[in-house]
Amino acid sequence: MFSMRFQLLPQACLLLLTCFVAWAVGSSGSSAPAGERAADFFSRHDSGSGHTNNWAVLVCASRYWFNYRHMANALGMYRTVKRLGIPDSNIILMLADDVACNARNKFAGSVYAEAGRHLDLYGNNIEVDYRGYEVTVENFIRLLTGRVDPSMPRSKRLLTDDHSNIFVYMTGHGGNEFLKFQDQEEISAFDIADAFEQMWQKKRYNEILFMIDTCQANTMYSQIYSPNILATGSSQIEENSYSYENDNDIGVSVIDSYTHYVLKFMEGINKTSQAFMQDLFDSYDPVKIYSHPGIRSDLFRRPLDKTLITDFFGGIAQAEAFPLQDIVGSSNHHENDPTPPTSQKPDTPSVPVVLSPTVVSLPRLTGETHAWDNRWKEVRKWTSIFVVGCLVSWVSFVR
Amino acid sequence: MNSAAFANTGSGFKDPEKLSFERDWIRRAVLASYWIVIILAFPFWWHLTSIERLALPTSQVRSQLQNNIVFPIAIHFDASISQQNPTLNSQVQTLLHDSAINEPGRWTGVDIRLQDRNDEVASSLYTVALGEQTSIAHSRNLRVNRTDAQSATRLSSILSDLIAPPESGTSHSQRVVQYSDHYRLAFTLLNEDATPNRFVATWDVQAALAEFIYPLMSQLSILHNFTVESQVQYHAPLAFEPRRVTLGDTEVSGLTQEDLTVFINSAEWTLASSVSNDPVLHFVLFVPSETHSPMNIVDSEGRPINQSSFLLPQWGSIFILNNELNSSSLHLSYNDLKPVFRNFATQLAALLGVPPVPFGLIMEGSFLSDWQLDALLRHRALQNVQGSQDTLHSIIKLVDQINNMPVGQVVRDDVLDALASLHEAYRTAVTSPALALRWSSKALSMASRAFFNPGMLALLYFPAEHKYAVYTPLFASISVPLVVALIREFMAWKRGSRDNGRR
Repeated sequence: MFSMRFQLLPQACLLLLTCFVAWAVGSSGSSAPAGERAADFFSRHDSGSGHTNNWAVLVCASRYWFNYRHMANALGMYRTVKRLGIPDSNIILMLADDVACNARNKFAGSVYAEAGRHLDLYGNNIEVDYRGYEVTVENFIRLLTGRVDPSMPRSKRLLTDDHSNIFVYMTGHGGNEFLKFQDQEEISAFDIADAFEQMWQKKRYNEILFMIDTCQANTMYSQIYSPNILATGSSQIEENSYSYENDNDIGVSVIDSYTHYVLKFMEGINKTSQAFMQDLFDSYDPVKIYSHPGIRSDLFRRPLDKTLITDFFGGIAQAEAFPLQDIVGSSNHHENDPTPPTSQKPDTPSVPVVLSPTVVSLPRLTGETHAWDNRWKEVRKWTSIFVVGCLVSWVSFVR
Repeated sequence: MNSAAFANTGSGFKDPEKLSFERDWIRRAVLASYWIVIILAFPFWWHLTSIERLALPTSQVRSQLQNNIVFPIAIHFDASISQQNPTLNSQVQTLLHDSAINEPGRWTGVDIRLQDRNDEVASSLYTVALGEQTSIAHSRNLRVNRTDAQSATRLSSILSDLIAPPESGTSHSQRVVQYSDHYRLAFTLLNEDATPNRFVATWDVQAALAEFIYPLMSQLSILHNFTVESQVQYHAPLAFEPRRVTLGDTEVSGLTQEDLTVFINSAEWTLASSVSNDPVLHFVLFVPSETHSPMNIVDSEGRPINQSSFLLPQWGSIFILNNELNSSSLHLSYNDLKPVFRNFATQLAALLGVPPVPFGLIMEGSFLSDWQLDALLRHRALQNVQGSQDTLHSIIKLVDQINNMPVGQVVRDDVLDALASLHEAYRTAVTSPALALRWSSKALSMASRAFFNPGMLALLYFPAEHKYAVYTPLFASISVPLVVALIREFMAWKRGSRDNGRR
């Protein structure tokens, strides 16, 4: 074993060196095309985000009574996006939905997200699209990629196009690069990244806001590689997301800390608010949340302090008084000055997270470490085969 | 040996050599049968655990990306014009050519040609002739008045606006809905509050539709199929409180630009049934309640503008009805609905991407001219071709990129069908834009069907450790005794043959 390790030492040095060189070359070379792409994008959508419709996919990935708070998280988000104007037909709610009518629920038919139980989130006007055992990884991926059975009803489909802004919210129990679905299966960060890429290829979105509240949540968006995605999570790697409070009559935790503060911020937003995503991110306080929320904006092309919260949480973006006089030959909007790309924006010190400038290099580095991991795996594999072989021959020779 | 000694005592023990399961050939047969089963099962295991990935026609798709649909267009100047100014023909030709070079995006897929003689019977032959006033006449004719006929610049600008209508910025591309075979048009009469004094119980929707919407639909029927539904609702509260604006002696409810974007109260209004997956275009006739009427759209300075309708891009349109209703009549007659449905018809055309009539032109006759319809056909066909090319390319790219994405026979057939339809679209573009559109639409739906095939779902990502963790507990424990037994048997056989040789 030791000799092997020493053999690998020069390789390791070499690998580190190539890592560094690739990073340096990549970061200096990628700035020009990124600027160009940004310019292209802005000339295409010079009126803000360029979306005409909004969709929301809200997933509660856990079930059972003791996970009450996850149901409350998802329902809280549901109530918020609905209040801000996304119609029920454009909200896909995936919910195990076994707490409202649980035998242990003292307040039958109700779900509350705060101690004191002021606001019933379940109410009488709620549309759960995927319920109970339908909440599976497969259904979620099918929903996103659109590869659903032809017989699937409209309410269970994500009928988006290249003018749709989608808000994807997930909550449940997770770990490093995975999220458990109903204690049975798990979805990995790679699956989500691939699903988003397939959506991008088929022009199924204009922009995505991906928000996740689970343990080690920030790892879940680390693998995403498709453009126009803004991601945020509740906690760093090796860090838990904690619940916010218990209700003594319900007897379990009623909401998670991160979601509680996001929802609290959202309560101050209405359909025509001019608040920006940066304001939401600035409101994150790791001391109160008990974990370090993360933001990933390197794939997102607009500055966060120009991106309205209602671009993702709201309903309709624009209205035209009609008939508009078409101005013939007005094609000069293509020559508009491009707004500088987002990624160069300096970090605000109060935000407790790693913002884009450093994250830009991350995927490349993980690629290298991935190769390194693979080599290690090869070595381990052959070693174990060798050991098994030794054992087999030893058993067969010793009689 | 001990065993022999036991056998000789003649008690319950037998000679191991005589025991059936200790005979060499039986033991070997048992061992061999295990191995045979394993070896025979191996291909099944391999087949069942591997993913079916049929080869897609990659090179064909790549070469398709280079192709583009081209519609040849011939324009003929009538003798009445060319006699006046013999050089006009070449002047217009040059101007159009320059325009095509300056704005390649606008002229993609159009190959324009000016003809001297009217002898060639092409499908899209447009004729320009002298007339009383500049106007669009029937069956691809254009009449120009004397002053316009003199100017090559004016003529070429009219022609280019008619044949390749400019897309006026992003608002246009966002307003127009994506192409679909089917649309559902949902007409809704919404009473904000059906208090006894002021509400509309019935409307003469059939007559209004027949007059304004159906002619348009029948003209557009070569592009789309339509389903029409209508409903009346009696309680549709707004989700916001409109600001009251005082205007001279009256007070009105002002809707600002911001209010318009949140006008639709999607949480409480049910505007369309969700029975099918076709895109829905909504047309809402809104009757404000007594407290909110009259309701006006106001500009940024708070002054009411002279319009009672607005359009939400890709969604539909809303008309606010402010007519002083007779308190006795709860019915909207055909005459009341005339302005409303004229408006709806215009907005439907705008939503479907019908190009506007160029400024300064008068249209003779019905709703859409052939010039507009042809331009729309060409534009939609071009969009569909590009869409299907993109989709096919992304299928190829994703299959390449994601290793565990299955590709079945159905997907492959759909891709081949899409390629064939694309080919047909190119072929028919020369003769008939309508046929080309039909084929391009089929190509797009085939390509999309291939992309959305439920069987194309990539298997979930499993790290290598997970695979070891599944296979090792099972196979390691089975394989160790099997391999060890094989080696032992082999050595026993070798020893036996050596002993025989020695003997």
